[in-house]
Amino acid sequence: MSYPTGPAGARAADGRGPRRAGSHKLRVNPIACEAHGMCTELLPELISADPWGYPIVTPGYVPDDLLPLARRAVTACPTLALLLDRDD
Amino acid sequence: MSAMTVLAGLPRLIPPGGPLSLADHFGRYGPVPERDAGGLIGDIERAGLTGRGGAGFPAGRKLRAVAQAGHSGGRLGRQAGAVVVANGAESEPASAKDRMLLARSPHLVLDGIALAADAVGATRCYLALHAGRRDELSVQVGAAIAEREQAGLDRVGVQIVPVPRGYVPSQETALISLLNGGAPKPAFVPPRPFQKGAHGRPTLVQNVETLAHIALIARFGADWFRELGGSAGSALVTVSGAVQRPGVYEIALGMPIGELISRAGGPAEQPQAVLAGGYFGGWLPYDRALGVPVSDSALRAAGAALGPGVLVLLPESACGLAETAWITDYLASQSAGQCGPCANGLPALADTLKQLAFGKPDGRALGWAEELSALVAGRGACHLPDGTAAFATSGLRTFADELRQHALSGPCPRVQRRPLLPAPGHTWGQRS
Amino acid sequence: MTVAAAAGALAGATAAPHVLPPAAIVVTSSTPLWYLTRATGLVALVLLTLSMAFGLLSSVRYQRPAWPRFVTIGLHRNTSLLALAFTLIHIVTTLLDSFVPIHVQDVVIPFISAYRPVWLGLGAISFDLLLALTVTSLLRTRMSYPSWRLVHWTSYLCWPVAVLHGLGTGTDTPVRWVLGLTIACVAVIAALTAWRLAYGWPSHAAARLVGALALVLTLIAGGAWLTAGPLAPGWVRRAGTPQHVAKSSSKVSSVPSRGTSGGAK
Repeated sequence: MSYPTGPAGARAADGRGPRRAGSHKLRVNPIACEAHGMCTELLPELISADPWGYPIVTPGYVPDDLLPLARRAVTACPTLALLLDRDD
Repeated sequence: MSAMTVLAGLPRLIPPGGPLSLADHFGRYGPVPERDAGGLIGDIERAGLTGRGGAGFPAGRKLRAVAQAGHSGGRLGRQAGAVVVANGAESEPASAKDRMLLARSPHLVLDGIALAADAVGATRCYLALHAGRRDELSVQVGAAIAEREQAGLDRVGVQIVPVPRGYVPSQETALISLLNGGAPKPAFVPPRPFQKGAHGRPTLVQNVETLAHIALIARFGADWFRELGGSAGSALVTVSGAVQRPGVYEIALGMPIGELISRAGGPAEQPQAVLAGGYFGGWLPYDRALGVPVSDSALRAAGAALGPGVLVLLPESACGLAETAWITDYLASQSAGQCGPCANGLPALADTLKQLAFGKPDGRALGWAEELSALVAGRGACHLPDGTAAFATSGLRTFADELRQHALSGPCPRVQRRPLLPAPGHTWGQRS
Repeated sequence: MTVAAAAGALAGATAAPHVLPPAAIVVTSSTPLWYLTRATGLVALVLLTLSMAFGLLSSVRYQRPAWPRFVTIGLHRNTSLLALAFTLIHIVTTLLDSFVPIHVQDVVIPFISAYRPVWLGLGAISFDLLLALTVTSLLRTRMSYPSWRLVHWTSYLCWPVAVLHGLGTGTDTPVRWVLGLTIACVAVIAALTAWRLAYGWPSHAAARLVGALALVLTLIAGGAWLTAGPLAPGWVRRAGTPQHVAKSSSKVSSVPSRGTSGGAK
């Protein structure tokens, strides 16, 4: 059994502070997700990978300046497992 | 209300003596009342009845959601009708209350199904039962259904659905997948069952005990229901493990665990700890458990849960760590294998717990187990990863002394005994 | 856009004149269009091969620190669109070329053409699949994922059919560097497909074994057909070249020359 060194990915990859109120939230369909890792490459500010390559999404709203990147990450997912919901 | 004597105190759900015929059933409880949907749903909401299947979701809210979805849907102005699924599959291995209820009081459950069907405008009703070892039960319940059909009692006939064995197939969306012709594996929500479930229609999935309570509330009212249990009502609990008289007991919620254990004859051996809430619940040291009321809020505050009303008494002769490792291993084998964090994380967690219980773990194993628990929680389509993580964490916390002992001098001799907690068909290291 | 530059260079190369032995044949046709058709066909094949390669690379989740996965997917998308573009030019130049009797319907409906019906028809099939692949992929986020995936599986048919079309319809097949290029493309895709089949073993073992068998049989059958077909004498006639086109060549060599005169008949 090998234990991972360093953070296991449960913490956000960047050092941003608490999320301000926003409009959209990211969500993963865990059944559709096959750990291709496209989202962790394209949106490392909000999505990091667990030890098996599956995405851990920072909870809270997506900052407005990251929305275009979030949309790109959603489009890039090969299995369309990443979802961007408008919070109504 | 009914001209019959309103039931006072307990028992409510389980009639004394054997199962009642249809006539005797109506003799004891009165006929199925004619209730308008809005009135019944309002009563259930006022009664504060929560689901008895383990999740504890407010039953009135669920009924209302399905009823509203059913009335706002429908193509071409016609309604396709909702679907009622009575969940009697009871996949929690340490629980026996649902089969006891179905065996002793099937008509109460069937009353509840009929009332719920009218309340939500259902045109299909299913009763989910575990296949195989439930055959005798299926025959019994089938006879009760036939009895009602002969009497022309229910608007919609109830169809028994056999559910494959396993922990996960009786989950709400897994049942619906099964009804839709697929494998009994949980589905991603949204859409939630009340919006779009079996056959694409709004679906009400309710535990059989919850439906039985609905059948009584329809007759005797919300205030009557709240007379017991500090207004939380009554519930069926399964007490097992090292007690003199293991079995299903009908209690008023809020009864202290110690009193419940006494009702079950008291401990059969020197007691060590109590598992409350089944395999998604938590461990309580015996002394601390005695005073905790049997209710979801109190048990959660104490670090456990009510779940489907399951209490197991662990004796001193067993090793709590070994039992925790055993059930975590079982739960890991029950993964539907659909979600990466669960399919990967639970076996890793099980292996780590096995090391902590049976091996000579290095200093990082405990930290890794805790990290794994945090990693998997909430990242699956169903609650298997969260429930397993909570159970494992609770074990590591409650049996911290054993952890220290094992780390110092290896596993204690108690780990050699056969596991106390039931895990049907499971062997160590078995994976899905 | 270095891929496009390379594609252009290839197109230029096929138009360059060659040194001929004295008994060489010239094919009389509207030569610039004829060159363009063959050139863009080859380029499209290379681009389609690249697209297929990047797709396979993505399916085995190839990744290096300096090569994230979104690069593979981005290149896959770009080479696919370029392949479609060159295929369209290839089709247009063929239609514009009045020398060979190929009409609009032959582009999408297979096997009805007067010119090498079977082998041209394969081109139509490949083109139809390429259209389906492109359209569904452009609409990927708006359609059901299982449907998209099902259509995308047909790429395993689209590419080899395109190769066969090129070998069977193309008059340059016996030319050494053209043959070499085609075989190189096949080798690359065969290797990547083998990698794809081995990746993630042993899940879906039965399907993988069937796939491996299909791969091996296809390569053997393809090689056998190539030797007995386009590389054997008389292919021009056996492939179904119309009389008036075939008559303008007395030998079955299709090495191109500088112009339309000399040596004809």
